[in-house]
Amino acid sequence: MTTNRSTIIETHGVCKRFGERPAVIDLDLAVPRGCAFGFLGHNGAGKTTLIRMLLGLTSADSGVMQIRGLPVPAHRAEVLARVGAIVEEPHFHSHLTGRENLQVVAAVRGPEARGRIDGALRRVGLADRAGDRVRTYSQGMRQRLGVARCLLADPELLILDEPMNGLDPGGILEFRTMIADLVGEGRTVFLSSHLLDEVEKTCDAAAVIDRGRLVAQGPIETLLGGGPRELQVGCDDSHAALDVLDGHPAVASARETPDGLRVILAGNDGVADINRRLVGAGIAVFRLEPVRESLEHRFLEITSRVGGSS
Amino acid sequence: MTLQMLGAEILKLRRNRAILGLAFLLSVGVLLLFFGYSAIEHASNPAQYGPAGGIQPFQRAVRVLGLIFGGLTAVLIGTEAGTADLSSGVFRDLVATGRSRLALFFVRAPAAILLAWAFNAIGFLLTLGATFAFAGGDPTPSVSLILQSAAWILMSNALLVGLAVGVGSLTSSRALTLTAVIGWQTVATLTLLDATSLGSARDGLLTAAAGQLAPFNTGTGVTMATGVAIAVLLGWLLVPAALGAWRTQTRDA
Repeated sequence: MTTNRSTIIETHGVCKRFGERPAVIDLDLAVPRGCAFGFLGHNGAGKTTLIRMLLGLTSADSGVMQIRGLPVPAHRAEVLARVGAIVEEPHFHSHLTGRENLQVVAAVRGPEARGRIDGALRRVGLADRAGDRVRTYSQGMRQRLGVARCLLADPELLILDEPMNGLDPGGILEFRTMIADLVGEGRTVFLSSHLLDEVEKTCDAAAVIDRGRLVAQGPIETLLGGGPRELQVGCDDSHAALDVLDGHPAVASARETPDGLRVILAGNDGVADINRRLVGAGIAVFRLEPVRESLEHRFLEITSRVGGSS
Repeated sequence: MTLQMLGAEILKLRRNRAILGLAFLLSVGVLLLFFGYSAIEHASNPAQYGPAGGIQPFQRAVRVLGLIFGGLTAVLIGTEAGTADLSSGVFRDLVATGRSRLALFFVRAPAAILLAWAFNAIGFLLTLGATFAFAGGDPTPSVSLILQSAAWILMSNALLVGLAVGVGSLTSSRALTLTAVIGWQTVATLTLLDATSLGSARDGLLTAAAGQLAPFNTGTGVTMATGVAIAVLLGWLLVPAALGAWRTQTRDA
């Protein structure tokens, strides 16, 4: 595998089985540097298994993996020195304080990490509670302490596995802001999640894994653009509008909805002409709005298609 | 392994109040009870009960520290060191730093030994104080015997810590490790020591081999050559350590 400096994670043909059950199948993934990258999949799709293989927590059966341009697990120590990760959920010694838990990891990482403890605690807003035992922390505080632990590595890459799990809306918003800030500093955040809305709001690019297979990857806009373009038309006479649009070359299909017409376009052009035709036919058009497909809709479409073909 | 890692490992152990409290009770509380009760007995009936101090109570206390309650302290601390990262889930995060798994394993025993020795030291100082304070007219241990006894206690407890760390790292279960090691060192070992029909097969017991190296007769009822005792003890140290290291290296984190 050749080194691509524009990607921070690359995998080719990675497979992993647990007994007879395949968990990851022939996975080719490329995560660009300097972005928030979402790794989407249903529960049990293989997201955490891939993360564990990347981090050397379990071995791959076959395939090659690179992080920061170096093969893993061969260069695991060198690679992971600048990688921070939370796998599944952050675990701590509950009888130690937040600061002491960071001291334990800093001791394992090396002397430079020790000097980053105070900054990391401030960064995640835990400086005031750093002297409290972790058993008194809320779920959100544990997640933030997990990020602080990642920051001890001054990471080029953060791997966060389901980081929004258990957070309240305020916590999710804080987390989203923190991820944006980290990306703003030039770091890459690899975010595994089944919360599609969060990935859509947080990430620049994403990959979708379904039953161990990678089924789509690319920028969020590209992933969303994969389906047909739709148009919501609000007008004073939907029935007449349907007749006018019947046979229009830009319209693949159209149907009446409670608030007007839902038009599926045949291509990328033709919206202006549709408006012109409707107005020309004496129909008052008060709304012409592209329907933005959600990542959730697109995800379900992709994964159900895979499911149907298997 | 770095000094920082050793310090962090000790931090994890010494901040565990439950472990520290129990270790203190086993290492110091039991000796306070032993000497206190003996002193009261002697004060109430000097004709029937000898002084609480002097050489014989000293030897009994050293045996308590080296093989019985001190040993329980060592097993308790060793088990905690061997299982804490695994049972809390932190092991995964430590492995994800890229640090060698073997380095993570090999820091556990030294840290646990140092902490167990701290309790041994307190217990031993208490023993010395009581030995001389309550000796009455009885003979007291020589400097040589004191030094040999201290060294034997440290060796014996280090071995038990190593055993517990190895088994704990192998099983990752605190309950299983405590049950297995304490069960073996108490019920099983005492039963086997009494089974004279086993003959020299009993030389393979850790307690028998450790007792052979003690500076006085520890009453195990088994004697063997010093070389055999050393070989047996090395086996008890190295085999669990090798198993624990292997499991730490190969387990899914």
